[in-house]
Amino acid sequence: MNDMRLTERTVNANDIKIAARKVQVFYGTTHAIKDVDVDILDKTVTAFIGPSGCGKSTFLRCINRMNDTIDICRVEGDILLDGEDIYNKKVDPVQLRARVGMVFQKPNPFPKSIYDNVAYGPKIHGQVKNKAELDEVVEASLRKAALWNEVKDRLDAPGTGLSGGQQQRLCIARAVATSPEVLLMDEPCSALDPIATAQVEELIDELRENFSVVIVTHSMQQAARVSQRTAFFHLGNLVEFGETGQIFTNPRDPRTESYITGRIG
Amino acid sequence: MTLGLLAALVLVLAIGGFILGRQRALSSAKGDLRKLHSLPGYYGQTVALFTAVPAFVLMAVWLFAQPALIETRVAKLLPGEEHLDLVMTDVRKIAEGLDLIVAQGYLSNKAISDMRADLSDIRSRMGDVGIALGSNVKPTVFEAAKSYRSLNHMGRIGMTVAVLAVALAGFASAFLRIQPEFRARNVSESFVKVLLIAASLVAIATTVGIVLSLVFETVHFFKIYPAADFFLSLTWNPQFGGGSDLGIWPLIWGTLYVSLIALAVAVPIGLFAAIYLAEYASKKLRAIAKPLLEILAGIPTIVYGLFALITVGPMLRDYFAQPLGLGTSSSSVMTAGLVMGIMIIPFVSSLSDDIINAVPQSLRDGSYGLGATQSETVKQVILPAALPGIVGAILLAASRAIGETMIVVLGAGAAAKLSMNPFEAMTTVTVKIVSQLTGDTEFASPETLVAFALGLTLFVFTLILNIVALVIVRKYREQYE
Amino acid sequence: MTLADMSHHRPSLYTQDARTKARNAAEKRFRIYGITAVTLGVLALIVLLTSVLGSGLGSFRQTMMTLPVTLDAAVLDKKGNRNPDEMAKATTITYGKVLAQALEAVVAEKGLAPEGMKAKEIGSLISKEAPAALRDMVLANPDLIGTTIEFNVLANGRIDGFFKGRVTMESAALDSNVSPAQLELAQALRDAGMLRLAFNWAFITNPDASELRPESAGLGVAILGSAYMMLIVLALALPIGVAASIYLEEFAPQNRFTDLIEVNIANLAAVPSIVFGILGLAVFINYAGLPQSSPLVGGLVLTLMTLPTIIIATRAALKAVPPSIKDAALGVGASKMQTIFHHLLPLALPGILTGTIIGLAQALGETAPLLLIGMVAFVKEYPAAPPEGFLDPAAALPVQVYNFTQRSDPAFIERASGAIIVLLVFLLAMNILAVLLRRRFERRW
Repeated sequence: MNDMRLTERTVNANDIKIAARKVQVFYGTTHAIKDVDVDILDKTVTAFIGPSGCGKSTFLRCINRMNDTIDICRVEGDILLDGEDIYNKKVDPVQLRARVGMVFQKPNPFPKSIYDNVAYGPKIHGQVKNKAELDEVVEASLRKAALWNEVKDRLDAPGTGLSGGQQQRLCIARAVATSPEVLLMDEPCSALDPIATAQVEELIDELRENFSVVIVTHSMQQAARVSQRTAFFHLGNLVEFGETGQIFTNPRDPRTESYITGRIG
Repeated sequence: MTLGLLAALVLVLAIGGFILGRQRALSSAKGDLRKLHSLPGYYGQTVALFTAVPAFVLMAVWLFAQPALIETRVAKLLPGEEHLDLVMTDVRKIAEGLDLIVAQGYLSNKAISDMRADLSDIRSRMGDVGIALGSNVKPTVFEAAKSYRSLNHMGRIGMTVAVLAVALAGFASAFLRIQPEFRARNVSESFVKVLLIAASLVAIATTVGIVLSLVFETVHFFKIYPAADFFLSLTWNPQFGGGSDLGIWPLIWGTLYVSLIALAVAVPIGLFAAIYLAEYASKKLRAIAKPLLEILAGIPTIVYGLFALITVGPMLRDYFAQPLGLGTSSSSVMTAGLVMGIMIIPFVSSLSDDIINAVPQSLRDGSYGLGATQSETVKQVILPAALPGIVGAILLAASRAIGETMIVVLGAGAAAKLSMNPFEAMTTVTVKIVSQLTGDTEFASPETLVAFALGLTLFVFTLILNIVALVIVRKYREQYE
Repeated sequence: MTLADMSHHRPSLYTQDARTKARNAAEKRFRIYGITAVTLGVLALIVLLTSVLGSGLGSFRQTMMTLPVTLDAAVLDKKGNRNPDEMAKATTITYGKVLAQALEAVVAEKGLAPEGMKAKEIGSLISKEAPAALRDMVLANPDLIGTTIEFNVLANGRIDGFFKGRVTMESAALDSNVSPAQLELAQALRDAGMLRLAFNWAFITNPDASELRPESAGLGVAILGSAYMMLIVLALALPIGVAASIYLEEFAPQNRFTDLIEVNIANLAAVPSIVFGILGLAVFINYAGLPQSSPLVGGLVLTLMTLPTIIIATRAALKAVPPSIKDAALGVGASKMQTIFHHLLPLALPGILTGTIIGLAQALGETAPLLLIGMVAFVKEYPAAPPEGFLDPAAALPVQVYNFTQRSDPAFIERASGAIIVLLVFLLAMNILAVLLRRRFERRW
């Protein structure tokens, strides 16, 4: 695999899926995210890069309001999903999260069977009418996560018994099963070995056909490999946002350049 | 010589040993500490340990073994006695009486050894010093008592001599070995290590003691009362004059019924409280409510017993049992079960709370990330993940309920019944252990000994529950560590 | 339906669909169950404590009368030589008459007695325990003979109950031990300032009293007995527990034997307490021949029960000391034993002491095993000072509570609750001490 594969990139003029305007996040008195404006396109992989503690994960968790589960966290500004403000009082985060799925840093399959892991989302949201439909969704999701062939004979086995890479793909299948529009991935490969990482990256590229994917990553190579657009965060600020090729070959901001060339990080 | 004096003497020897040993080490090195292998204190410590520890161990062993040895020897003097236990009780009493007679100066030791049961009125003499005997004393029994007494005296003298000899020998052997090359630190540290091991064996000794005393007396009981009746009879009806029915089932039924009600109270409240405190409550509420619930576990059970007796029992009787025509007793299965339920709430809630907190946050995130509500996450992800641990917690609570004594003594009643009515007074295994062992019946009678069989049943029952629970909880902890 | 279908045409985020509403309602219900459970638990605690406090506070106040008592030499010291041995021939019955006459005189002087009340009825307002108290006082100080003293007399339990609301005119009419007329007289005496409710120190210091004299029953022997047992538990369980913990935590090899010890300790912590009572009865009393009802046997049994608690706490405290400190000591050439005794143990001490205090508190409240080793016996004599006192018969606080509950006079229920208040005060003090220790010395590494 070529590490800096920047060719054959087709950035379509897709619709804007998520628009963030002047987003501020506070943890207690700490100002973690400052004035971030971002447009995330549909059917595109957007990568958030930056040094540790730069706020990229925090911002990601704002997009499906996962920060609500942290008491001291406060979000200001607007984040619009298809033009609707997700922090509006009328919005139920439960409904929002069915449309904005999330995959976490560490594979976290539930202590249930593989089947039940994938079926969990559709069941709680009442998206299926009967067992046959559910079977269909589970199979489709596992196929999308490129896991079907490996587990189709042992759907009743516990999800925790799979290898790390398989577990992460199971988690992706689980997130995909509710057929979200946006898939948020928080360093999905950081706990995986290189082979599993390659599989998941390949998968991300395929997911782009159906979803808008946002991925936080530590690895610039990974961002370069899987994303079409890249946002560089530094100390809570969005420093630069643009097409991945441009960010990596011709960064406009000196801080971006320093990071990419390894001088800060 | 009294035990206290003997112990004090050994201690003085040990302290002296410390001082002398230290001095000898210093003088053998001619004041140059660098020549010594260890610091001078260690030489003193070695002498002190060698003086005191073997002597005290010997003393403890002697005190423990002497009664058994003497009793078997005295028992040989009483061939053909039917109720040896009862006779031995008399022997002990008479021996004690003789001691008192001598102590109060009525008779000399010499006079006592000449005393004969067929010539003098032993019973009235014993009465003079406050020892009440049930019947006149047979000559063989009196002779046995005399030999019991003299053996005891000899034993005591023998012990004093032996303990002092061992102390002095230990002192000498350690003291004489002192020279600069003597590795006093290593020796005394090995010695201390042996002491540490001995301390950790106390736990084993306790269990062995429990099992032996229960099994021994239970075997005794089954010799005079058929085991089949005990395990199969449905009647519990002890009689003073003998001919008792001692079937365990009414007691087991009462125990299980009370425990079941207790669990029916404690499990839902404890579990929901644990879930609320772990998943929902603000830090402030948690900081207040959690200790408050744990206070419930720190309150002595006698307090719950009194609560059942004066508050819950009368209340249940006046507002439920009597209006519903279910009974007129204030002590009932319901009273005891309810109060016991309150007592074991913290056993369920505290342990469940720990276990729920041990479920990794990543699982919660995974569930919330999929759009589950908090209660869906709890019900479908956290509880299944925590289930083994929670089952363990409930089993521990059940074992607590089954072994609980004071609440049922004061709240459940004393009538052994096989009834379904929860407002009726029933009784439990623990209640009967207390009533059979605190009554006035003779120790060797089946009515008393049955308590040991009940105790063994209780012990085995709770042991199984505890071990299963411990294994489950331990497995669960390992899973997330 | 396929995945592609589902991803089209989502409803607006601003409207909650029916399912979300139902799910949120379920969420709310679940929360209510939780808060209800917590409330029920806390409520049970409050009801429990108020019920005991409510019925027990009365025992700290006792109805007393102050009477001028003339100690007539002709009655109390017939030989007139003030020799206590000779005076001892005057029994409590004689003293009872003296007291009764004193009360009758006062009543007659002020004309308080209701019509037709017999002298005997007036006299029985006085506690049956009072003559003995007067006799003890006079025998201790024979010079009082021939003088008139102001003597504080306990009122009979029923009279006391009347002023605490336990006895009413109606109940007295049915009671053979007290009549409504006597209650009227008591009320008149109170109105005349002769009779009052005073703080009841005797409840803390007195020994137990018999069935018919609840007014003078106290906790003195029980408190002393409990204190003796706690001393024994402390002296035995702390060193043995710490030693065992050090071995298990620092020396024990990982093998099946160590496992056995650990399982043993975990199991002992969960064995029903009454089983320890059986152990005590079989081993310490029947086998080793130690005296029944003695604090020594109680202390030994409680020691065995407390050991697991102390071992578990001590091991946790030892574990909490960071290995770097051990490494540092070993690194400068200290032996393992020196490392443990010079560094680990002092650092773990607060945790060990906290665990010990909590273990002691548990032991202090334990009742069931003590019933079996004979501590239910009625003990009126104070045990001697230790060490001999460890072998004297004694009571224990929680067992005293049980004893009170087994008596028929309802006045003893008040005493039982009062005894529990004393017990809880001790427990509270111990737990506060434990918390303070932890706060003061707790270290975080």
